[in-house]
Amino acid sequence: MKNIAGLDFIKIVVHWLLIIVTVLYLVTGFGITEFRIVETFTFGLLTKSLAFRLHDNLLIPFVILLILHILANILLRRCKVAT
Amino acid sequence: MKKVIANIIVLSVVLPLILTTINSCGVSEMNEPSELEPVEIREYEGTKLSSVDDFRENSIEGPQYVDVESYQLKLTGLIENPRNYTYEEVINEHQHYKKVITLDCVEGWSVTILWEGVLVRDMLDKSGLLPDAMVVIFHAQDGYTTSLPVDYIIDNDIIMAYKMNDITLPTERGFPFQLVAESKWGYKWIRWITEIELSDDINYRGYWESRGYSNTADLDGSFLE
Repeated sequence: MKNIAGLDFIKIVVHWLLIIVTVLYLVTGFGITEFRIVETFTFGLLTKSLAFRLHDNLLIPFVILLILHILANILLRRCKVAT
Repeated sequence: MKKVIANIIVLSVVLPLILTTINSCGVSEMNEPSELEPVEIREYEGTKLSSVDDFRENSIEGPQYVDVESYQLKLTGLIENPRNYTYEEVINEHQHYKKVITLDCVEGWSVTILWEGVLVRDMLDKSGLLPDAMVVIFHAQDGYTTSLPVDYIIDNDIIMAYKMNDITLPTERGFPFQLVAESKWGYKWIRWITEIELSDDINYRGYWESRGYSNTADLDGSFLE
């Protein structure tokens, strides 16, 4: 039962992290191609070069979180079926 | 019966008149050739070319509309004879060159275009480079700037294009002139050029270069510093 609670917690954390990373990935993507709009909306904080750096560095965390998100769901279902 | 005959007579007179008029109009138009809209070429000596519409608009202030009548290209800085050129003077006073070159944008897209223009080197030679001149700084209508080493400009026959795919540069593509910075990332391919400045400031950084982009901008390296 403790295992399932732990898995549930991991699933929720991964779920929210994945949402944050996905949104950031999209915003930084727009920060590259639509830099004039994004720079204006972020008051000049997200510049094109910063968007490039973030976008490049977010790819690996995004893929890892996506895999964890899928695995956590599968594991949780198996555990629930077993109990 | 009389009416029918009268109608036939009228028709037989009027119809040939109409036909003759139409025909003569056609002949007069054929004698005076009309100018057709130039069409871009999509293949050159076996190389497939991209279209002028394949570019993505990513300029800092949007497309610039340059009035060719009042346009002046300034050649300033460390040169013996600073000069202002008109659009016609740039084109008529220099040898023209053509070359197929691919522009690679940092955003991930690329276009292969037949560029036609004048060599920047020819313009610099004409104005007399001073020995201290190390960097060529290009200024554009929208305030965009970029720089390249003098040696790179001279050694690589760098073109300042006024035509692409055999048509005059469209406004969105940088009319009147776009630099064809071969083997450099797209942000060195400055459009709407208004000034070429010779400088000894080797630390000069252009618009994107001062915002974290590489100043060398070599295609085989990263564009981020």
